[in-house]
Amino acid sequence: MPQEMLRVTGLRKDYGELEAVKGIEFSVQAGEVFALIGPNGAGKTTTLRIVATILRPTAGSVTVAGLDVADQPAKVRETISYLPEEAGAYKNMTGEGYLRFVADVFYEDRRRRAEALARGLALADLGDRIKDKCGSYSKGMTRKLLLGRTLMTQPRLAILDEPTSGLDVLNALEVRDSIKTYARSGSAVLLSSHNMLEIEYLSDRVALIHEGRIVDSGTAPDLKERYSANSLEDVFAEVAR
Amino acid sequence: MRRFLVLVRKEIRELLTPQMLVPLLMIVAVFMFIGNVVEGEMDQEDAAQRVGVIDLDGSELSARMTGVLSESGFQVVDLESADAERIAEELLARDLTYGLIVPEGFESSVQSGQVATVETYGVVRSFSFAALGQAEALNRVVSAVSESVSVQLVSQGMPGVDPAVVNQPVQNVEHVVVGESEAQVPVSAVYGFITNQTTLIPIVLFIVIVFASQMIATTIASEKENKTLETLLASPVSRTSLVMSKMVAAGTVALASAAAYMVGLNSYMTGLTGGAVGGPFGGAEGTSSAIEALGLGLSTIDWLLLGATLFVSILVALSLSVILGAFAENVKAVQSLLGPLMILVLIPYFLTMLTDIESASPALRTFVMAIPFAHAFTAAPNLFLGRYSAVVLGIAYQALWLAGLVFAAARIFASDRILTMKLSLRRSRT
Repeated sequence: MPQEMLRVTGLRKDYGELEAVKGIEFSVQAGEVFALIGPNGAGKTTTLRIVATILRPTAGSVTVAGLDVADQPAKVRETISYLPEEAGAYKNMTGEGYLRFVADVFYEDRRRRAEALARGLALADLGDRIKDKCGSYSKGMTRKLLLGRTLMTQPRLAILDEPTSGLDVLNALEVRDSIKTYARSGSAVLLSSHNMLEIEYLSDRVALIHEGRIVDSGTAPDLKERYSANSLEDVFAEVAR
Repeated sequence: MRRFLVLVRKEIRELLTPQMLVPLLMIVAVFMFIGNVVEGEMDQEDAAQRVGVIDLDGSELSARMTGVLSESGFQVVDLESADAERIAEELLARDLTYGLIVPEGFESSVQSGQVATVETYGVVRSFSFAALGQAEALNRVVSAVSESVSVQLVSQGMPGVDPAVVNQPVQNVEHVVVGESEAQVPVSAVYGFITNQTTLIPIVLFIVIVFASQMIATTIASEKENKTLETLLASPVSRTSLVMSKMVAAGTVALASAAAYMVGLNSYMTGLTGGAVGGPFGGAEGTSSAIEALGLGLSTIDWLLLGATLFVSILVALSLSVILGAFAENVKAVQSLLGPLMILVLIPYFLTMLTDIESASPALRTFVMAIPFAHAFTAAPNLFLGRYSAVVLGIAYQALWLAGLVFAAARIFASDRILTMKLSLRRSRT
């Protein structure tokens, strides 16, 4: 039986009087890609940030590999990696320098740092441009570099917010393949995307989130059947209305 | 510790950009260039003070006057104009700055005990500092002439009497008392010495605080804008390390920048004052022994205390900037947010420079000294006057501020506020 990598129970998050997340529950198993889909402002990014230990939950609990994100955030951070939506890299660093910096931050051991850097370089796959400064990269190149940065540490749970946002078709395909390959290695992936085709291609299970609540979840075929829809886009539209 | 150093290295690398270095080096170069140009101009002025002279008296006294002018460093040029009306034209035509007319009957007026008159002309070609220096030279011409005539008169009328005694029959032997020490030295010399010693300290502090604050607030705002901060916050590094690495990097770069500025500013000031000030820590040599007797020199402990208060001030500014930077949604908002900090630095900067805070009203003194930066500005004068308790208490007060601000900054970074806290200036105006 696969190990449970993430469990979210009764999660609530308030920003002052605004209730962004209103008691959601889900779990993600090792080797599984779990997607959160929903309209803008539904609470997806807030949920991902809480799992990534950046925000603290107002109520409920989130455990990553059995570790509570509120009580043991430092330990949780050693097991996760987070790719924020539309994130950038340090403009004055080269791509390689950036990956080396991340390896230096994550590992004390010199050999492990070298291995992580090699993985990051392979995942980013930027050829000679890896020696150029990040400030000169296109959006697609930056995204590939950041995906390399996210997965090079081999996190047990990768948290990806809109991983292919702004990428052209070819770059998006490469990134999706990298994510799928990574999940097959036994790690869990929690992602959020507006691209329903991407969700169908990547995800083992999907949760539909609307106004801070999960309104339905299941595999993509199950959801389509349940809503008598031809695609996840139709399911999404049905829920969003 | 290794991770902390990795973060510091990253921060310094991000701060030392061509966008930051080029303007810095340009400003330093411009300061040095201006200093050298001004110094060169002043040297030129000192070397060639040309005075056009029309001697209509043709007497022994008038001839002696031109001799005194030459001895005083002026180059005497005989003008061809026969009358006073054309002297201006000739001065301009021959590129002379000064003109002197000794009228007919000059010597006879002096000998008959009447006030003799000479006329001087000064050609104003610009209103620069260098031109102001030239105007001073014009006064020197008249003084040299007057002194010469005075010596002549005393020598003739009071043989055996020293003309210097007649010119200045009463001499003021100035004594300065500081605390229980006393020395024979002009008060102005002591003030000049202390000013030379302390003028640049607040300037350095001000530059460092402005520089470091902008850097650290900008780097935080930039990390928020690019979302690299979110990535860092989800990494296995402590929040305190994140805050401290930014402070250490910004402080290091700011101090290095201040040192570079000082090199340029020193060159500028030296050029502007013709070397009279003698750089940031120079002083008049003749007064040094009196200064020592007055106990106004700074000992090693004094310098350590001064360094401590400057260092803590910079850290207070940095920690305050971390908090202000956390409010910024983007880099553009940083300038507006740093406004309050700049005001907090400017108030004690100007008030301690222009007034004596110790003798100010209790309300004003309390207000100014409540600002932590004020203690750095008042530290040097207090140390010169041996007020150690005021300096030590000031450092302790600053340390309290620092502890509170670092605690608040670490709390902000450890909480949601680093991502959710923002100040919408547009909204606050409506």
